[in-house]
Amino acid sequence: MKKLQIILTFMLLTTFTAIAQDTPYQKAMKKEIAKLIETDSLPQLQQSANAFARITELNPTEWQPLYYQSLAYTFQGLNKTLTIDKKDEALARAEELAKKADAISPNNVEIVTLQGFVTMAKLSADPAGRGQSLSGLAMQTFGRALGIDNKNPRALVMMAQMEYGMAKFFGSGTEKACGFAQQSATIFAGQDEAALKAAILPTWGKKLADGMVKNCK
Amino acid sequence: MNFGQVRLPAHFALRNFDKKQGAPMKNYLLILLLFAAAPTLAQTKISGIVTDQKGGVLPGANITLKGTYDGTSSDTQGNFAFETDETGSQVISIQALGFKTQEINIICSGNPVTLKVTLPESINLLTAVTITAGAMEASDEKKSVVLKPLDIVTTSGAMGDITAALLTLPGTSTVGNDGRLFVRGGDASETSIFIDGLQVGNAFGSTASNVPTRTRFSPNLFKGSFFSTGGYSAEYGQALSSALALNTLDLPLRNQGDISIMSLGGGYTQTLVGKNNALTASGNYYNLAPYQSLVKQNFDWEKSPSSWDSEISLRQKWGNAAKGKSGFIKAYFHTEGNGMAIWQKSPGNDLPGNDGRGDRIELHNRYSYGNVSFRHSANKGWFFYGGAAFSHNRDKYNINREPIRQINQIAHSKIAAVKDFTPQFSLKNGLEWYIKSYSEALISQNLKRKYTDHQLNHFVEATYYFSNRLIMVGGLRTGYSSLSKQMWVTPRFSVAYKLENQGQFSFAAGKFKQLPEEKLRVLQTNLKNGEATHYILNYFIVNNNRTFRAESFYKTYDNLVTYQGLPTAPANITQNGAGYARGFDFFYRDKTTIKGTDFWITYSFVDSKRRFANYETKVQPSFAPRHNGSVVIKHFIGKLKSQLGSSWSWNSGYTYNNPNLQGEMQSKTKMYSDLSISWSYLPRPNIIIHAACSNVLGRSNVFGYRYATQPDETGFYASLPTGQQAKRFAFIGLFITLSKNKDANQLNNL
Repeated sequence: MKKLQIILTFMLLTTFTAIAQDTPYQKAMKKEIAKLIETDSLPQLQQSANAFARITELNPTEWQPLYYQSLAYTFQGLNKTLTIDKKDEALARAEELAKKADAISPNNVEIVTLQGFVTMAKLSADPAGRGQSLSGLAMQTFGRALGIDNKNPRALVMMAQMEYGMAKFFGSGTEKACGFAQQSATIFAGQDEAALKAAILPTWGKKLADGMVKNCK
Repeated sequence: MNFGQVRLPAHFALRNFDKKQGAPMKNYLLILLLFAAAPTLAQTKISGIVTDQKGGVLPGANITLKGTYDGTSSDTQGNFAFETDETGSQVISIQALGFKTQEINIICSGNPVTLKVTLPESINLLTAVTITAGAMEASDEKKSVVLKPLDIVTTSGAMGDITAALLTLPGTSTVGNDGRLFVRGGDASETSIFIDGLQVGNAFGSTASNVPTRTRFSPNLFKGSFFSTGGYSAEYGQALSSALALNTLDLPLRNQGDISIMSLGGGYTQTLVGKNNALTASGNYYNLAPYQSLVKQNFDWEKSPSSWDSEISLRQKWGNAAKGKSGFIKAYFHTEGNGMAIWQKSPGNDLPGNDGRGDRIELHNRYSYGNVSFRHSANKGWFFYGGAAFSHNRDKYNINREPIRQINQIAHSKIAAVKDFTPQFSLKNGLEWYIKSYSEALISQNLKRKYTDHQLNHFVEATYYFSNRLIMVGGLRTGYSSLSKQMWVTPRFSVAYKLENQGQFSFAAGKFKQLPEEKLRVLQTNLKNGEATHYILNYFIVNNNRTFRAESFYKTYDNLVTYQGLPTAPANITQNGAGYARGFDFFYRDKTTIKGTDFWITYSFVDSKRRFANYETKVQPSFAPRHNGSVVIKHFIGKLKSQLGSSWSWNSGYTYNNPNLQGEMQSKTKMYSDLSISWSYLPRPNIIIHAACSNVLGRSNVFGYRYATQPDETGFYASLPTGQQAKRFAFIGLFITLSKNKDANQLNNL
């Protein structure tokens, strides 16, 4: 009996180790993150948001499920086929979720960047009406993100986008914007994507940075 | 570091897992058995359809087996299906944005479970119907807005004056020789102004008669405003016509310094921002003398108007909104001084004058306003707000060297609690206490009169959403004045219904009371409330950056003050006046049809007659022109880094009383028209040059005529027109923002 218990304990431990490498939480997150990053379709984005909502239910102390759920709604809010009301509805949800994530993990560069991204999405829903009131807020939020980590590629590429828009609006040079974009693209190229993915940390935004760098040339 | 983050969640997940199974750690066998047994049990298939209450399918609903990762979303037909390894009694939760969450108990035994789920609608404040009758909002956040806060400052012709920008909205009348807000046949005293819910006394600068005034407060203080042209909430009282609620900014974005150098003066504002608090301090000085020495004036100034002001505001927030409890406290203090001396000719020159210049009016004004306000959201749907405010206004007039001193003070404190009982139903309750005191003194004769009035008010307001389409609000405001020894109860009611196409109808009605003006109350302290009753029907639609608003109204007045003699020396004061105002107005705003251009057009028709002041019959008041219109255009030219603006305001003319003719108020001026232009140029993102000119066409507008009090030898009353200060008014200013972020500017401050 004693022997059996030792064997069983050993078996159990190996099971635990296997789970520690990929708990149901991590497995679910990785699967859903991969789906979210791939898709542009509205129904798929809603499914992603729902899936992350289910994960949030079970893991209320983690910021990542809230982060990705918010990101899924932000992507919806950027969808060109939606009316401004629908965009605002999705973005209001995104904002609320990002706020919850921020409460769990304050001063997190990824969450602050996401909050700026939501503001940017609101702005792009009605640039003429909201440009003046929201562009300052968006820039300030990305500035805050870069204050926490000035090497965060997503914060850099978002800032690049805002700077680019400002430069176009004022008819001034895009050097500053392109500098941010280049910096972002370089960091994206040098990062260990697999390790970040394993840690369910955000990796998205590379295409955006590469696209901007291309535009700048 | 990243590594650590991976391990931690795994550890938590395991612990949770153990707790859920309720297994004592020593009982390894049982756990292992469960582990081993689970995969061998049959999976349960759960499928179904999600619909709304009208039977429409709901795609994108979230279906979850509670406490597990199992679940799915409904497809475009509202159908869903998934399988689970869980067994026994389970709970399925179905959630969709805009709907109430449903939970259903099921048994997982391997047999398929089929569900038909109907989700009831939940109230979504973002898209639900709002009451728009009588209301015009300026906000960046809400949907049913007519203006953005920025519009108030970029409207050409407004010259940065909040009131002047509001005068381009329907339901208002421009009275060029006054400058205050005149709403739907009401006089300027019938509008009350609030900052963060607390009343502002003497919100407009003191001035001589027929010299237009401005709002004392800079538009860059405010993040939004709520302007009601009638039928407003029980939260506001002592205003027969209109309420204007201004809400100050929460936290500014960044530390910055703003410099302004203008043709009329200059100023500096410094903003310091912390994580949860902010401090803004500013000082300004204005003097019209240099400008008036360059440009010919129609007014005979001895000393051009000059003023200084300084203000300080502190803001502190607390708590965390995501965790339920959070709040904000704001303190604001503003103080200023103004002075001017002007000569005004008397018609017929029958009064003693100096060199034929007429009456000399000298004015020194000192004004201070301070308020402290808070708001706090608590758990369980409670929300509290309130505060205290104090305004002190002292006018020292020297009329033909005869000194007169007037002091007006208002203290206002308020506390309100709102409870959301359900998402459909909320109840607001509030208490207010006002102390109003006024004194005037004729210094040389050592004569003084004054009064102090305590007013206690209670308001209650219930809001009920029948659905996202139908809302009803009912309120009751009760008040008591210690001076007039009168108690009053005023009911208010409004309802709104949203149509399929985003358009909506609202109806509002209510009774409103207001005590007479200070200058009359001090003569006769037992004067009672004047009364008004409003009925308003409104249609409002916003679609794709186009806004259309149509409104019709009917308003009756009762118990208005009437007297005999001149307004400066009223005799036999009674409250037998009555009258009505009725009409309709239209507003159309379009930001999309013409590229890069934003414009709005308004038209208001007002038919008003009332017996008030020293009139013996019901007459059309001078401040209520029948037809009013305005057009505002803003156009951005990227290549020129410029925003060009133009506004045109027009009305059909002001009535006036000509004593040479039979009857009262029988005459009307020619129509009023003013075309203004403005140009904002941004050479660098943090520098703005702003130039503006009003009445570019140089039209000579007349606002009325003043008549001699006595006829001349031929029995004729001589007259003088009341006109504009100058043909045109031109302005140029340079605005520089200094901050770490080189792109910040004052565009939202102009």
